[in-house]
Amino acid sequence: MTDLLLDVTQQLINGLMYGAFYAIIGIGFTLFFGVMKKFNLAYGPTIMAGIYLGLIPLYLFKMPMWVVFLTCVAGAIVIGFIVELACFRFIRKGHELAPLITTIGMLILIQETVVTITHALPYEYPNIFGDESLDLGPFLVRPDYLAIFITGVGFVALLYLLVNRTRFGRAMRAVAENPAAAQLLGVSVKRMNMLTFTLSSALGGVSGFLVAMTFGALQPGIAGWMTIKGLVVIVIGGVGSIPGAILAGLLLGVVEFQAMWFLGFTYRDILAFLLLFAFLVLRPSGLMGKPAV
Amino acid sequence: MKRVIRIASGLLSLLLVLAPGGVGAFQEEGTLRIGGMWALSGPAAYIGSSSNGLSSLAVDEVNEAGGVMVEGKRVKLVKYVYDDACKAEEGLTVVRRLADADKVLFSLGPTCSNVAEPVFGILQKRLGDASDTGLQFLFFTDTAIKFGLAKISPWAFRNVGNEPQMFDLTFKLVKEKFPDLKTVSVAYESDFAHSVSTWKGAVKPALDKHGYQVTEVVEWRFEDTEFGAQTTKLRKANADILVMLSHTFTTCGSVKELKRQRVKAKLMVGITSTANTETMTGCGQAVDGLIIPTNFAAINPKAKAVAEKAWTKYKADSNLHSVPAYENIYAIKGIVEKAGIKNRPETLLQDRRKVRDALAKLGTFQGLIGPIKMNGDDDPVKPRDVDKAIILVQAKGGQWTIWWQPPEMK
Repeated sequence: MTDLLLDVTQQLINGLMYGAFYAIIGIGFTLFFGVMKKFNLAYGPTIMAGIYLGLIPLYLFKMPMWVVFLTCVAGAIVIGFIVELACFRFIRKGHELAPLITTIGMLILIQETVVTITHALPYEYPNIFGDESLDLGPFLVRPDYLAIFITGVGFVALLYLLVNRTRFGRAMRAVAENPAAAQLLGVSVKRMNMLTFTLSSALGGVSGFLVAMTFGALQPGIAGWMTIKGLVVIVIGGVGSIPGAILAGLLLGVVEFQAMWFLGFTYRDILAFLLLFAFLVLRPSGLMGKPAV
Repeated sequence: MKRVIRIASGLLSLLLVLAPGGVGAFQEEGTLRIGGMWALSGPAAYIGSSSNGLSSLAVDEVNEAGGVMVEGKRVKLVKYVYDDACKAEEGLTVVRRLADADKVLFSLGPTCSNVAEPVFGILQKRLGDASDTGLQFLFFTDTAIKFGLAKISPWAFRNVGNEPQMFDLTFKLVKEKFPDLKTVSVAYESDFAHSVSTWKGAVKPALDKHGYQVTEVVEWRFEDTEFGAQTTKLRKANADILVMLSHTFTTCGSVKELKRQRVKAKLMVGITSTANTETMTGCGQAVDGLIIPTNFAAINPKAKAVAEKAWTKYKADSNLHSVPAYENIYAIKGIVEKAGIKNRPETLLQDRRKVRDALAKLGTFQGLIGPIKMNGDDDPVKPRDVDKAIILVQAKGGQWTIWWQPPEMK
């Protein structure tokens, strides 16, 4: 019984820590949808490209990890800006599904560009937290996972302040609520969209830097993985809801780890997607989303 | 209007099929067309790119030495290469293109067994049977290693490792050198054909044969990044030997997780495909101690020179998958010069058949580190596959070192 309890708790800790990463990706997707009412399927590749750009100072100039971190964030912002320009800005109003297709195209374009440049070779990504686990009583905690968890909590607090306590946040909420009315009140929707992209991409850059360290080695396939996880999280959490994305991310992490431990690896995705379908059928608005009228 | 579109698309398709072929090519042009299809993008690209590079090196060398003698005339090798991205549907498109549009004599590749299986499946099954409309197209594969793939069609030949034999030897040697090691844990990629077949068809029988007790088997995917739960299971099993049947990317991630969870097996054995430079680049010293059976290591001056040239010229790693692409070009060159092919578009099918038949009767040919024996059509166990020397390498200080090699090679 004690053994069982220890196992459940260990996997719960792992799931919550890893779920924090899902939550951060989910928040990024949610910001796009919340403000622009559009899906950005190129978000995963944006993060992936940022991580790869971060490798340039590391591999070519042997620069320290803080430079890698800054390059990763800056890289994600630049790629995010390109995505906004190519996939959203010049798409005419009334073509709501067009960005879905353009961002799928961008997903493939970015991924294949990285594959072509890197020949899809796995690149070692140094982990500043080392390869040792922390002892927490009878449990082992990965310091890099802990960093992701703490960063996730920090992001949530910052976002809360930004959205609820600043002029930018008010403008963002106004655009999310009613872009036409916000425009009439003097808020530049175009500028808000761009700032949302910048914010989400920066968020992606930070989380990408952390997650690349947890992977240890980097390959372009992570873009597709991040996209799928992000979409699952926002559907379970409720499309457009930041608290929903947080809860869904953590829930997904816990479900995956418990499934792997008790049922075996193959059940990880089966249970995760069963959860997704259960929400789509029984509660399409997700954990925290507004029910459709 | 619909009719116009239909006619236009029909013409366009015809052009696409005919354009690359061009009736004036082949012998008149002084070229001999050969093909290659590998995973040049996606997670397995690092394997396919090296095969492509090694085969390009062989083509360069052959052409610089004057080319291939066909009907008393020296012709240059021209290589047509496509990316199948390690995806079956891409592979099926590419093989049609190589066979019908590019009209190549034969093809190297594919990289992945999950591509080779359906691709070989559309080849002719019964030689010379007019009712069998399967594709009459020759493969001389360098990489797809899943056991028994060449049995699918008499047009499929392979110069790849024999994993059941390789792992049998590995565990025999391990038993001799470390008789105290009794228990084994295994990790494999359950969504990757090579990994699954290695576990079920090569490693498990070898472990059973040599009397090892398997205490835990865990799975992950070819592109997985999280190994926490599986590693905890491996830690609990606490086996003497850990067999990691996962490819480079997952190997790197999982060995780091092993370290994190303080799993210290007394010995680690890896899958054949991981004995490459990419593993060292991606995993660093985390793989130190890993032992892998392979068919290539730069153990003689010729092998060293080829490996250096391939890296300098094409950034291609020389390993058990890529070196056969180099060897196969030379083997085919020798066959073509003796088989009496015409090298004309109208004789293409006959030429392919002549080369196929000669390849089936080739017997022993020279590989980079030693002789390679091609089994004929009548081999009851593995027709059209090869037998060649096995070497065991070990990761040490960021490099592959020889752990064991046949006494006759020393």
